Amino acid sequence: MKLFRHLLLVEWSGLAAAILLGAAALSFIAPNFLTEFNLYVMLRSLSVGLLVALAQMITLGVGQMNIAVGALGGLTAIIFGAAMELYGFPVLLAIPVALGIGALGGLINGLLTVRTGVNAFIITLATASAFTGINFGITGSIPFYKMPAALVGFGDRHWGALPYLLVAPLLVALLLGQFFSRTAPGRQLLAFGGNPQAAELSGISRERVVVSAHVLSGLLAAAAAVLAVAQLGSAQPTIGADWLLLSFAAPIIGGAALTGGHISVLGTMFAVLLLGLIQNGMVLAKVDPYWVQFVLGALILVAVGLNRWRAVNSGRLE
Amino acid sequence: MTDEAMRELSARRRLNVGWVSAQFGLLIIIVAFWTVISWRAPGFLSPFNLFTVGRALAVDIVIGFAQMAALATGGMNLSVGSIGVCAVMAGGHLMQTLGLPIPVAIAGALALGAALGWLNGFVITRTGVSSFIITLASANLYSGAMLILTKAVPLDRLPMGVGAFGKLKIAGVVSPLLLIAAAIGSLLFILYRHSVLGRQILAAGANARAAKMSGVPVDRVVTISHALSGLLAATAGMMVVARLGAAMPAVGGEDWLLPSFLGPVLGGTLLSGGAVAVVGTMLGALLVTTIRSGLLVMQIGNFWLQLYLGVILLLAVLADRYRALQSERRGIPRR
Repeated sequence: MKLFRHLLLVEWSGLAAAILLGAAALSFIAPNFLTEFNLYVMLRSLSVGLLVALAQMITLGVGQMNIAVGALGGLTAIIFGAAMELYGFPVLLAIPVALGIGALGGLINGLLTVRTGVNAFIITLATASAFTGINFGITGSIPFYKMPAALVGFGDRHWGALPYLLVAPLLVALLLGQFFSRTAPGRQLLAFGGNPQAAELSGISRERVVVSAHVLSGLLAAAAAVLAVAQLGSAQPTIGADWLLLSFAAPIIGGAALTGGHISVLGTMFAVLLLGLIQNGMVLAKVDPYWVQFVLGALILVAVGLNRWRAVNSGRLE
Repeated sequence: MTDEAMRELSARRRLNVGWVSAQFGLLIIIVAFWTVISWRAPGFLSPFNLFTVGRALAVDIVIGFAQMAALATGGMNLSVGSIGVCAVMAGGHLMQTLGLPIPVAIAGALALGAALGWLNGFVITRTGVSSFIITLASANLYSGAMLILTKAVPLDRLPMGVGAFGKLKIAGVVSPLLLIAAAIGSLLFILYRHSVLGRQILAAGANARAAKMSGVPVDRVVTISHALSGLLAATAGMMVVARLGAAMPAVGGEDWLLPSFLGPVLGGTLLSGGAVAVVGTMLGALLVTTIRSGLLVMQIGNFWLQLYLGVILLLAVLADRYRALQSERRGIPRR
């Protein structure tokens, strides 16, 4: 009982158990689950989700939020597509351009938040609308279809069940883990998220922390958009439209505190995996797709309750 | 009078002046838009177009009120659109499938909206988790449940009276929906300005701890505010049903999110809670409706609409900050 209680206090232990149980149950119910192709398809769509979740996790870390992840992702995706289709950019040149757009969008979010002192929610709600407006204004909601074969090929390739695309989020997660646990700027971000006043009094610059968190978040949203284009084989203006819920659900299920200062890279990744597993399981079990939204909402509530219970029991909260 | 009270009073007076100037600025912008649009597209002032604009405005106003009710407590309600569409489909089913009389069906839909809002408030106050995350989750729960139950099939054989009410014109231009929105506005004005409950809600929004110490049942008024928010969202949903003459599962949802914040924030409702601007919210909604139908009449692609709305929200936020800085610079009276 004591061991069980201890395990429950480790953030991702429950998630890992749920994933193992879920995978075991699925392979039992649906024989197609363990086929190489099914695992490959699942992991490939997870790759984008992982980056989206990490993008939101960073802003949650400093106690803010980025409603514009999806909108910025969509804008980046179509600019990425346009650069290659209309202006003939080679893939390796178009990727830095796309990442630059993402970082620029994040910079705008960060500067507006810091300079106005207005809640990041309302600022990014406004910029999200603006980014989407530019996206649809430019494209007239018509996708760019002619993507270079090299990019699409990369999106399709895989070793066994492991898609090449998965490399990007794994690399990003590794770097982020190091960044938040080992480097001074990373620790400063979390310190600020935990207690902004105390952090500022210890000489941490509010402006630098908030702006860099938003820039990083925008950068990862752009990376997710590039992966989404590679995965879909076309630059759709609707990319990112359904990222918002996942972006909050995964970090929170993974144990991030909404108030900032506490995040878990591993927990977030496990949460994305669990959500992917549920989605995949529902498809295999031919459940009405409308249930997906319902289950996602319910899972967030359960996770919030669990996080709260954990906080109370580990003494972080009175 | 003590120093403290004096300071409080002057701060409040300043805030009032701030609102008035915010709404005055908004009014000027709206007049400017109307002038430009009716000059570029004379059809904008035709009775028929004025009627359509007014009808759309009624819905925008009530959506704004639904968010304003949650903002008053310092929280927010991301599920306005989901509650709206739940009410739409519930009302449609009560009328079409069960064949209940229209007023009973409307009452049922509104009760459902209030109940869903109350559930939000109950969970928020019980868990102490931020309203953002609770309502983000409940928005998906409600929408998901609605889709599972209705299978996303629209109900388009409602009683004739519903669509006819939506097409009704008073004096050739005014939709009764607009009058309903205005009536709701006056009730809310009385609630927040002159009733004990309203003052308690604002006190809880401004400073929950201080309010609790002064004997305000904070949890209760927060829950009531969320129920009110749900009720208003359901009202907006019923207005959409009257406008379309059908219950569509595609209305509401995330499409209401931005407009719901635009109205109150443009009008000067504080995001941090404790202050609402009923008239300002109506003006804010008017600006949103004006821009939307103006772009339509001037045949500027609907695609750019979101950009304009986003930029206007940003400008409003910046103007608000500027005003706050100015009044800070004018200074708290020092002795």
